[in-house]
Amino acid sequence: MSDLALRTVNLTKRYGRVTALDDLCLEVPAGEVFGFLGPNGAGKSTTIRMLLGQARPTAGRAWVFGIHAADVARAHRLLGYVPADVALWPSLTGAEILHLQAATGPGTDLAYRDELVDRFALDVAKPARTYSTGNRQKVALVAAFATRARLLVLDEPTSGLDPLMEREFRTAVAQARDRGQTVFLSSHQLAEVEAVCDRVAILRAGRLVEVAAIEHLRGLHRAEVTVSYAGAPPAGLDAIPGVDTIEQTGPGRLRFSLIGAPGPALRALAAAEVTALAIREPTLEEIFLDYYGAAETSR
Amino acid sequence: MITEAIPPAVPGRAITGLAVRQVRRSGLIVLGLTAGMPALVVATYTSVMADPAAAGSIAKLAANPAIRTLFGEPVALDQAGGFAVWRVGTFLALLLGAWAILATTRVTRGEEDAGRWDVLLAGRVPLRAVVARHLAAAMIVSAAAGGAVTTVLLLAGTDPAGAAVHGAGVGVLGLFFVAVAGLAAQVFPARSTATGAAVAVLGAGLLARMIGDGLTELGWLRWLSPFGLLALSKPYAQNRVLPLLILLAAAVVLAGAAFAAAGRRDVRGGLVMAASGRRPRLGLLSSVEAFAVRRVLRPLTGWALGIGSYYLLIGFTALSVTDFLADNPALADEAARAGFTGLGAVEGFTATLFALLALPVGGFTAVRMSAFVAAETGRHLTLLSAQPVSRLRLLAAEVAASTGGAVALVSLAGVAAWAGIAATGGDLGLLAALHGAWNTLPIVLLSLGAAVLATGWVPRAAVIAGSLPATGGFLLLVIADSVSAPGWVREISPFAHLASVPLSAADWTATSVMTALAVALAVAGAVGYQRRDLQG
Repeated sequence: MSDLALRTVNLTKRYGRVTALDDLCLEVPAGEVFGFLGPNGAGKSTTIRMLLGQARPTAGRAWVFGIHAADVARAHRLLGYVPADVALWPSLTGAEILHLQAATGPGTDLAYRDELVDRFALDVAKPARTYSTGNRQKVALVAAFATRARLLVLDEPTSGLDPLMEREFRTAVAQARDRGQTVFLSSHQLAEVEAVCDRVAILRAGRLVEVAAIEHLRGLHRAEVTVSYAGAPPAGLDAIPGVDTIEQTGPGRLRFSLIGAPGPALRALAAAEVTALAIREPTLEEIFLDYYGAAETSR
Repeated sequence: MITEAIPPAVPGRAITGLAVRQVRRSGLIVLGLTAGMPALVVATYTSVMADPAAAGSIAKLAANPAIRTLFGEPVALDQAGGFAVWRVGTFLALLLGAWAILATTRVTRGEEDAGRWDVLLAGRVPLRAVVARHLAAAMIVSAAAGGAVTTVLLLAGTDPAGAAVHGAGVGVLGLFFVAVAGLAAQVFPARSTATGAAVAVLGAGLLARMIGDGLTELGWLRWLSPFGLLALSKPYAQNRVLPLLILLAAAVVLAGAAFAAAGRRDVRGGLVMAASGRRPRLGLLSSVEAFAVRRVLRPLTGWALGIGSYYLLIGFTALSVTDFLADNPALADEAARAGFTGLGAVEGFTATLFALLALPVGGFTAVRMSAFVAAETGRHLTLLSAQPVSRLRLLAAEVAASTGGAVALVSLAGVAAWAGIAATGGDLGLLAALHGAWNTLPIVLLSLGAAVLATGWVPRAAVIAGSLPATGGFLLLVIADSVSAPGWVREISPFAHLASVPLSAADWTATSVMTALAVALAVAGAVGYQRRDLQG
């Protein structure tokens, strides 16, 4: 069995003349918590539907632990899934849906499932018709996390959850990672991705623009440097490659953005009487907006 | 920058437009059928009634309680218009009533259930007005259908008063069932329950009409039934307006009640609250196949009640009708010329009526496949399709459950007819009755096969495709016979190849060919279902 939980090669989906996903090549090693980012309409759900065999690729292929994604009877023995917009059989109660999912699923830890029902504060006696968006999502999350599947595919799983439940979600992801499960998390909640993911892929307009560890992404993006100094301002900063948008924010204070290694900038600062120095690394949100904003301006 | 707001259009009119769009397509089909069928019957009247012996038997026909029960009280058969009312009037009313119920609950409770009204109701139009405008859209179609009947009968040169009364009756009956379904959609918080309640009213009304027509001492029952009131208006004979006014008044009261109820309930709620919790019922949830059976059980019960009671009634009346026809050979000859041979014997009578069984049971299979497609587009199936279950197995489970349901319905009809005949002292073996009922299964399977084919390639068309072999085939045969179409047109209909079991032996060649064709359709559908993207 392959130690790649997910692999896609030239995965492409076209709807008529619209290309929803263009030539996606992606590898997610087993055991990783992998974030899948992109603005609305970037092709995240299309990708996931193809990984699950629910949509057929126009070109390219996808594998789940080396099993072709279209062979759902085998591939789905290895995965649990939470859809983006959960719809449940309206006349079944939460308990009945969980029972059906466990009976037809890839193997479920029933004790852990009951624990999750408690932790997510889910009332399973209610018919699904009466559930709110968040409660429907909880049913799908409990069903997926309770499986012993080696891969969990979560498509924007927390969009309807409150902050308390969001915390339970992060705990559940951490526990899944500790058990050795791979998590493929598509999300808009960048703070959440930043908190739980090892690596992220960024998708834009159907194309993959970046795959990297979050730490590595930070290095590629602008950090914000704030300097306080006594006497003359540090000279020559604007000539240093990577330094940009130098601003005087007050008397004896300036701020600039920095991309890449900080060495040359620090040497320039050493000439001045620096009294305080702060470097703030970019948040994932800023990185994300960097990619997204670049697309906006290049259009 | 502050931009000028777009000046508000009339918001209510936009909602009416939305409602009309949703009933337009099916409404036009219903309109075409309600206008076309009386036209066809009137056009063939002269050829059917050319024989003076037939005209002489009319009085006897009206006197037979069993014939009145099954086909309604024949009045004014001496006129083309009256004959059309008797031949297709009840069927038209039933068709329009069923459409009114299904369309009304679909565009009101169905849309609300699916959450599509949440955004709509965030606008300026209150729930009451939205409900009223959707009911109005369905009522427009009903009124237009009534108008079409009158127009067609007038154009055919029948008595204007009779044409007006019959058309008005059909239209008002449509309004009545829109109001019934509209009220049910306010009372019950789920579309299936609302539809079920309204269909129960329709079934009870039809049964009350049948009993009231058949048993003179219970004739007053007809005043309580919309179909009975329609019959009491006696178009082309007395042209009574009072029964229609009563029906109209009932429709107005019910529509008013629906309007009032809409103002007193929560959006997505009904007057009857959904249960807030219950103990889990874990039966039939252990596999995809078991779950398919679980989902079919409740609708199957409704279909079984309707089909079972109809064939029980047929059984009860069989002896009386066949004895009557045996005593009146002139009428039996007429019937034979109209395509109903051997009605003089119980076997022939049941065989003729068993053939009709393919229509509702074929419809059942089409509706089941359409519910499967609806579960897919409604994304209820998404979680199951992510389980280690192949698509072929998902589809096969559904097809198997539908086939099982169809076999159960057909067998039930056979047993019910047998029980009715046995209770009245008739002589028809249980096995013979079952053989007669089972004989229609190939046409039912053709319906299922066509519905599966559509599910695989054109999911939206599942119901229409599934209705083609049975309902479409039946209509084709009737029309082909009526207009003396060339033989090959007639031969397209599967009904042209149905032997009249139990009167004669089953035609095994035709049975095998139809079954093989049904399997081929289903296989082609399965291929498409595995290749296409799931919707939703």
